Amino acid sequence: MNVSIKKSILHTLFTKAGSLIKPNRGNQVASSRHQYLNNAFRAIVFKEVSDHVRSWRFIILVAIIALTCFGSLYAALSVIDKAVKPNDPEGTFIFLKLFTLSDGTLPSYAVYISFLGPLLGISLGFDAINSEHNRGTLSRLLAQPIHRDYILNAKFLGSLIVISVLLFALGFLVMGIGLIAIGIPPTVEEFMRIIAFILLSIVYVAFWLNLSIFFSVRFRQTATSALSGIAVWLFFSVFYPMIITMVSKAFQPSEFASAHEIAGYERLMSVMLYLLPNQLFSVATSTLLMPSIRSLGTLSMEQMTGALPGPLPIGQSLMLVWAQVTALIAATVLCFALSYVSFMRKEIRSR
Amino acid sequence: MSSRTKWFILLIILIPGGLSAHSYARSLSDSITLFTPYTRISVPPGESVTYSIDLINNTKSLKKVDLYLTGVPKDWVSSLTSGGYTIGQVSVMPGEQRNLTLKVNIPIRVNKGNYRLTVVAKDYTTLPVTINVSEQGTFKTEFTTDQANMQGNTSSTFNFNCDLKNLTSEKQSYALIAKTSPGWEISFRANGKQVTSVEIEPNNSTRVTIEIKPPANTPAGTYEIPVKAVTSSTSGELSLQLVITGTYSMNLTTPSGLLSTHLTAGESKRIELVVINTGSTILNKVNIVPIAPVNWEVTCDPKTIDKIPGGEKVNVTVTIKADKKAVPGDYVTNFEAQTQELVTKASFRVSVKTSMVWGWVGMLIISTALGSVYYLFRKYGRR
Repeated sequence: MNVSIKKSILHTLFTKAGSLIKPNRGNQVASSRHQYLNNAFRAIVFKEVSDHVRSWRFIILVAIIALTCFGSLYAALSVIDKAVKPNDPEGTFIFLKLFTLSDGTLPSYAVYISFLGPLLGISLGFDAINSEHNRGTLSRLLAQPIHRDYILNAKFLGSLIVISVLLFALGFLVMGIGLIAIGIPPTVEEFMRIIAFILLSIVYVAFWLNLSIFFSVRFRQTATSALSGIAVWLFFSVFYPMIITMVSKAFQPSEFASAHEIAGYERLMSVMLYLLPNQLFSVATSTLLMPSIRSLGTLSMEQMTGALPGPLPIGQSLMLVWAQVTALIAATVLCFALSYVSFMRKEIRSR
Repeated sequence: MSSRTKWFILLIILIPGGLSAHSYARSLSDSITLFTPYTRISVPPGESVTYSIDLINNTKSLKKVDLYLTGVPKDWVSSLTSGGYTIGQVSVMPGEQRNLTLKVNIPIRVNKGNYRLTVVAKDYTTLPVTINVSEQGTFKTEFTTDQANMQGNTSSTFNFNCDLKNLTSEKQSYALIAKTSPGWEISFRANGKQVTSVEIEPNNSTRVTIEIKPPANTPAGTYEIPVKAVTSSTSGELSLQLVITGTYSMNLTTPSGLLSTHLTAGESKRIELVVINTGSTILNKVNIVPIAPVNWEVTCDPKTIDKIPGGEKVNVTVTIKADKKAVPGDYVTNFEAQTQELVTKASFRVSVKTSMVWGWVGMLIISTALGSVYYLFRKYGRR
């Protein structure tokens, strides 16, 4: 944060609080103090948001994400007329195809979000605490009559607001441009699915945000925390799939293996895959954006007989990926809890 | 010559003359003779008979003979012609003969029997001829079919081939009329065209095809359909008999007609089916057979319906239990109602939902995570 601006804010807060916390104590005072703290929290959050929005880092990131997303939208629009085939159970969900179609050269919108989302989260959070610490503003902030966790919470909430606004704006832009281009309005069901997709991508980005905030608490050097965040991202998106391929080759059952063995092998593979946050996200989004997906794993013949191809209602699609959604949310909350604990236990001294 | 000889001669002359007094007198009048070879003819009513009659003058002098007919029944038309003229008197040179033509038209309405007509040559001779009318003459219309009875079901078309014969002496224009209950379709065809009336020359006949289509919901039974061909003076009537056999038809549906339901995987649901006998005959032993996806349990109560009278319906309660492992989405369960005569199928779409248990478990995990954060807030944040 810009130190001089922060100083002035905190000054106003302090003088306000000082006038409020005077001799008489009681309920009135307590509620006033509560209100003051709320105002203080809100002020820090807004400051965080404005800092992010004005920073070059954020502007560059937004530009990259927006450009790639419009590129994927263009690609989707160029092939959407060929995408609807007769007897396609998803034929009525043409609007959702804006988010999932690709022409082979550019990935689809959903894939871009799963790829660039982590970068957005890491870049917004990697220097949250340690940069303040290094500049010496953290101890000054903590000298103010506010709760200590307000700083961390406000850092998280400010970034989350920025992410949410960005993703909602992008999602609605894609919808709006798609509406103009294809001229078919989305149904209520499609709209709900898109909103669910946007919410899920916010949770996904928030996971990476929390992870990088955790690193920013743990590591004093911003470069270290940024690198460790990117390392985790690279590990999950590049190396872990390689490890899985190796493991799958090692454990691959022979052609003559029984169905039971094959099923066990497939279960192992899916368990290993679901340790990946990207995998959780991409499975959840593809199920949300493709209503005809009825099952995530392989289906037995017993399950297939008598099954009619058809789209699932949104509630059932959500139920199908509920485990993935739960895991993503829980991982996000867990990362936040970790960074919270380590921040609260951190010894902060002025330089 | 002695007187005795004279008397003897007289006797000889007189006895034969006395004996043959009559024949002598005829031979005298036979000097004019009427001759025809066929004096007794058998004909059916409506025909005309033509006699060729020769008038022979055996005398030595020219004879003028008046000719006329007697004994001609009323309504019979006869004419006596010669040389192209209708004649009443003929003059014949001695030793000559003249050919006459007698034409007698026998009407159609005439009784069976012998009719004697006499051609009279006035003052000279007569020629009796006998016309035997071989059968009872009629003035009527014959409307007949060789097969007046047909059997079929309600969806078949009955074609009756009928002959309409005009046995009157006039040309008749027949209107074709059938008396039916509402819903029956009847059409008449003559000469390949659909008609409502036909025109027939006297003594001619026309083939009329009657096409009958019964209504779809006709109960089984025998139906008489009177058909008439009517003119102002005559009419013919025909009674057609249709034997409608019962139709077998059945419908399997639900009371509301809705053939879909929602079901949570692993749970069961009761639905109501209705078997409707839409045919006209009783259906015996209707089996309700469910064809469900693997590992689904479908039971029907009752499994077999003893009998369903025509037009009646019977409710069947069906319990569907979905497989625990059924994936969410639509499954199809078919039901068949089987009898010996026919099978009806109903496809039932079952939308399977996943059980909410795992949803609640997920909620529990999330709330635990949030609760732990709240605990951290309490523990560290507000000191």
